[in-house]
Amino acid sequence: MKKTILLLMISCLPLVVNAQLERKPATDVQDVELIFHAPRHINLLTVEPLDKKTLQFAIMHTFGTLDGGIQNLYGLDNGANIQFSFEYAFSDKFSLGAARQSRDKIYNLYGRYHILKQTQDNRMPLSLSLMGGAGVNTSNYSFLQENNPSFTDRTSFAFQIMGARKFTDKISVQVSPMLAYFVDPNPIFLIEGDQNLYLALGFSGKYKISGKSSLTLQWIPNLNNDLRNNLGVGIDLEAGGHVFQMYFVTSQALNEQYLLAGGNGVPGEGFRVGFNVNRVFATGRRKSN
Amino acid sequence: MKSLIYSLSILLILTIHGKALGQVYKTEKGSVEFLSKASLNEFTGKSSDLNGLVDLDKNMLDFYIDLNTLKTGIGLRDRHMRENYLETKKYPYAEFTGKIGSQINLLVGQSKSVIAKGKFKIHGVEREIDVPGKLTAISDSELQLEAKFTVLLSDYNIDIPTVVFYELAEDQIVSIKAILKK
Repeated sequence: MKKTILLLMISCLPLVVNAQLERKPATDVQDVELIFHAPRHINLLTVEPLDKKTLQFAIMHTFGTLDGGIQNLYGLDNGANIQFSFEYAFSDKFSLGAARQSRDKIYNLYGRYHILKQTQDNRMPLSLSLMGGAGVNTSNYSFLQENNPSFTDRTSFAFQIMGARKFTDKISVQVSPMLAYFVDPNPIFLIEGDQNLYLALGFSGKYKISGKSSLTLQWIPNLNNDLRNNLGVGIDLEAGGHVFQMYFVTSQALNEQYLLAGGNGVPGEGFRVGFNVNRVFATGRRKSN
Repeated sequence: MKSLIYSLSILLILTIHGKALGQVYKTEKGSVEFLSKASLNEFTGKSSDLNGLVDLDKNMLDFYIDLNTLKTGIGLRDRHMRENYLETKKYPYAEFTGKIGSQINLLVGQSKSVIAKGKFKIHGVEREIDVPGKLTAISDSELQLEAKFTVLLSDYNIDIPTVVFYELAEDQIVSIKAILKK
């Protein structure tokens, strides 16, 4: 009798199976997305890729030091260093950008290439990207009687490897070995270092506090010089397609080369207010229309 | 005696299978579109990975879609939609399981308006809804389904970004079109 019941139950199984479709994901491997809110995180570039044929615009500012107090509106009176950058993605992996920093009127061309992408099944535990850039200082040094730096003397280069992982839904960390090279670290440039080559390790951290905001951290210890290390803390806010990034940072530098060679204040009194706005524009034909 | 029960059961299994196969239509490539009509910004999201089953014997419908396949045409918006609004890592599917009110007997070429009553689930919230739609018998083995309904995002605890720009409408108009095969 038991067997009969069992068999009857088994015979009902097809009914159960047919009653609903089995829910299964459309793709087996899914990339981890939004490791950071934007291709910029405080001052450092991230592994966050752009979609093919999209243009990312970032405007970044750093102001004077906070120590002037309310008299100088916490440094906002002292004039900002401003960098505009446009980055265009030729594919989902490769993008080229152009940036201009107002300090020393630096024009920078840079590229990012995304080699690895972290996946949700953890088979690929991290995202890895490369960045390379070259810049030229276009300040007018004609007031110098002699030794006016040549074009070559004004150039500088940057290279970095960005390795990042989203550890949990809230915490993401990026480690970026960085290199900057100045053909001629002329004292007239607004940098503190006097070496040609600068090596550093950039750390970027993100702690998500809500769906659209995160606390951010940047720490760039120098590896081959005695300059102070860069430290930044801030908050990222997403609002309707924009990512606003507000932070306190020890350097006014925004350009990658200047971040390493520019020197830093002491955290606390040497802090400056910084503010970035990121926006992505889709170009070309949208797929859905 | 035992063997008789076995053979009867096997026969039963076969008949149920056979009957089930009789009027069951399925698809894995149906299309879904949602339209967000906010005052300043109108956009659509699309997917052609709708999985569906229509069983005309039991008057039953079952549909689901992997929300990761929805594309709005802007990658960043898709990522924000997945991470902040639909939270697809936690709730990957939108599902509808329901019944059609009346028995359907369609000849080839005929179509009929129907209302499906059932449970719609998205973002971890399940609600009873009525979905008006149209069934068309394209051929002996093909059935077309078209349906349209509105999803009020607040009903399903889905946030709306209102900080700076109104980019998302409170009610999303969802359209479905699928050709299901026997």
